[in-house]
Amino acid sequence: MGRTQRGGALMRESRAAWLFCTPAALGLLIFIVVPFVLALAMSFTSLRLGSPLPLEWVGLRQYGRIFSDPAFLQALVNNLIFALTVVPVQTALALGLALLLNQRLRAMAVFRTLFFMPVVFPLSLVAVVWVLIYAPGPNGMFNAALSALTFGAWQARDFLHDAHLALPAIMLTSIWQGAGFQMVVLLAGLQAIPGELYEAARVDGAGPWQRFWHVTLPQLRNPLVFVVIVTSILSFRVFDQVRIMTHGGPHDASTTVIYEAVQAAFDRAQVARGAAMSVVFFLVVVLITLVQRRLLRQEREVA
Amino acid sequence: MRLSSILTCMAGIGHKRSWRWRCPTLAALALLLACSGGCGGQAEPAGVVSVWAHAGRAVERNTLEQQVAEYNARSRTDRVKLTFIPEGSYNGQVQAAALAGDLPDVLEFDGPYLYTYVWQGRLRPLDALLPETLRDGLLPSIIAQGTYRGHLYSVGTFDSGLGLWGDRRALEQAGVRIPKGPADAWTSSEFDNVLAALAARDPDGAVLDLKLNYPDEWFTYAFSPLIESAGGDLIDRNAYRTAEGVLNGPAAVRAMRRIQGWFRSGYVDPNLDDAAFVQRRVALAWGGHWNYPRYHKALGNDLVLLPLPRFGPRMVTGEGSWSWGITRRCRRPEAAARFLRYLLQPDQVLAISEANGGVPATRAAIARSPLYGPHSPLRLFAEQLREGYAVPRPRTPAYPTISAAFAQAFRAVRNGVAPKRALDRAVQMIDRDIRDNHGYPDVAVTGGR
Repeated sequence: MGRTQRGGALMRESRAAWLFCTPAALGLLIFIVVPFVLALAMSFTSLRLGSPLPLEWVGLRQYGRIFSDPAFLQALVNNLIFALTVVPVQTALALGLALLLNQRLRAMAVFRTLFFMPVVFPLSLVAVVWVLIYAPGPNGMFNAALSALTFGAWQARDFLHDAHLALPAIMLTSIWQGAGFQMVVLLAGLQAIPGELYEAARVDGAGPWQRFWHVTLPQLRNPLVFVVIVTSILSFRVFDQVRIMTHGGPHDASTTVIYEAVQAAFDRAQVARGAAMSVVFFLVVVLITLVQRRLLRQEREVA
Repeated sequence: MRLSSILTCMAGIGHKRSWRWRCPTLAALALLLACSGGCGGQAEPAGVVSVWAHAGRAVERNTLEQQVAEYNARSRTDRVKLTFIPEGSYNGQVQAAALAGDLPDVLEFDGPYLYTYVWQGRLRPLDALLPETLRDGLLPSIIAQGTYRGHLYSVGTFDSGLGLWGDRRALEQAGVRIPKGPADAWTSSEFDNVLAALAARDPDGAVLDLKLNYPDEWFTYAFSPLIESAGGDLIDRNAYRTAEGVLNGPAAVRAMRRIQGWFRSGYVDPNLDDAAFVQRRVALAWGGHWNYPRYHKALGNDLVLLPLPRFGPRMVTGEGSWSWGITRRCRRPEAAARFLRYLLQPDQVLAISEANGGVPATRAAIARSPLYGPHSPLRLFAEQLREGYAVPRPRTPAYPTISAAFAQAFRAVRNGVAPKRALDRAVQMIDRDIRDNHGYPDVAVTGGR
């Protein structure tokens, strides 16, 4: 008798659990699983937007083409450079900002708001503003600032049309825009660290540097892991800045995988080619996420 | 930094908005939901003509709304229902609507997309729907742009004008010859000398505005005429099968090299603020009819309209703008044509021309126009279109690819890539697109859509 009652309760509970899951699961299914399966299927065809020609299966032809397309290969390399630079720099900067803003000072809320503001602006707006900041010629804001800082030694450059400076210029914009979000996550992490730990460290005679190294950092591990993974994924997703600031130029110096995919699918109606690029992009992101999770987890076990 | 975008990108989509176009099932699903409240043309009462137009500037919108209101008040049989579509993703929305079988009866579109839409079987010919007298009164450029494979598919109520705006004071101070008309255009070397003379008296040496702040389509519209004047083209227009030897031939490479020279010499202002000319930072600005109101206000009598330089024996300029077509799924094409005939009446043509500054599409309207009449300030634009200096953009369904490829090549040349290399890449992109589409053969059109 008792057993059946408990079984019934379990059944009811799991039914409720399924019910609560459904909206999220449905969303995931419709907006992520189905589109991805479709993209995978499309990437093996000749699909073009609105074409009246019959659809053909072309096997791996789209993949063969994108991997022999110098622009796409350059885009992969650029994405990698972008991630390898932006992830550490942006995380370190966010951590620094979070530490600075974790003080008990008057009007701290104002500072926090100011540093968080770039995150609230739409990325496209930020990009347009930074195009103006990077204006070529000695009167461009960035050029003028560098010239003032170097007492006139800086020669004005056209940042967004310079093969060596275009990608770094986009990186700087992205870091400026993105650091605020990471900062807030890390700030929340910092505030969750119990004060007793610092007190205990002080009693043990630890200086500020030692307290940071042995208390703050280990306590921040989870927020840091989150921040690193999210920043990596986002830095592979970079698109808006490229579209608005450089159009991938000069000569592919700042193109990215998503930019190439959008160009193929929407400017040239080559949906199948765009789908193939998206599939490659997906696999790269999954791979990186898996590797990162593995590495970061192992560290945790050691600690 | 939005979580939703993280999720989206994990699915390898990248651009969330895109899914509406990329995935027919979802589009159908969305439409199913949207349609449950009764939608689209199928359910319209018999007398309604649905019309889609681009949401241009407010004056333009107001004028068209007024025209529609007047038409509805006058007509006993038809009622026009007007919907404005944002310009930014206009083609994308047309494609999505077409996929869902939900195009309106009358569709406005940017001229060079016509050939794609016809090839996709979206539009019906207007030959039998518009009287010959009306067609004869249209500018040749309107007919040229609207004709594809022997049939007229679209009519515009205005056309565009492309030329050089000049600052008369600066030009006179530099002591250069000021061309009087299209036959009198500067040659390419003369133009280089003009730039050098202007630069010599300019504090920063940047004397030319090429509107580098404009979107991609501008580059094809504004600079392919130079290649055509030099003897090249965007594609071989005999068969529309290849761009090889045409877009990357010696003439085209020469033209692009000259353009690159302007950048190298520092003559070009990046025009980030779209104010290079009105602030008189430059003496010459590549531009069109739409610049006139603002430029006239800033420069007054110093404003002079000049033809583009010629890179060969004859000057070539651009043409084409938004135009109207009737879709294949329109059940009452005669009613739709009645509305187009109304829009092409001289008064209506003048009204829209006054709103957007475009060249009136009919000779009758030009004669009465305060901007384009015989002694009016913009007569050069009308003259260019009437006398065959204007070349339509290539009439092929491959046009969107051609335009994207050319814009990319232009940017590369601007950034210092060797012109031949940049153009070779554009040719490769265009030719592959044509091959992939089996040369864009005529596909039997199955009505309905």
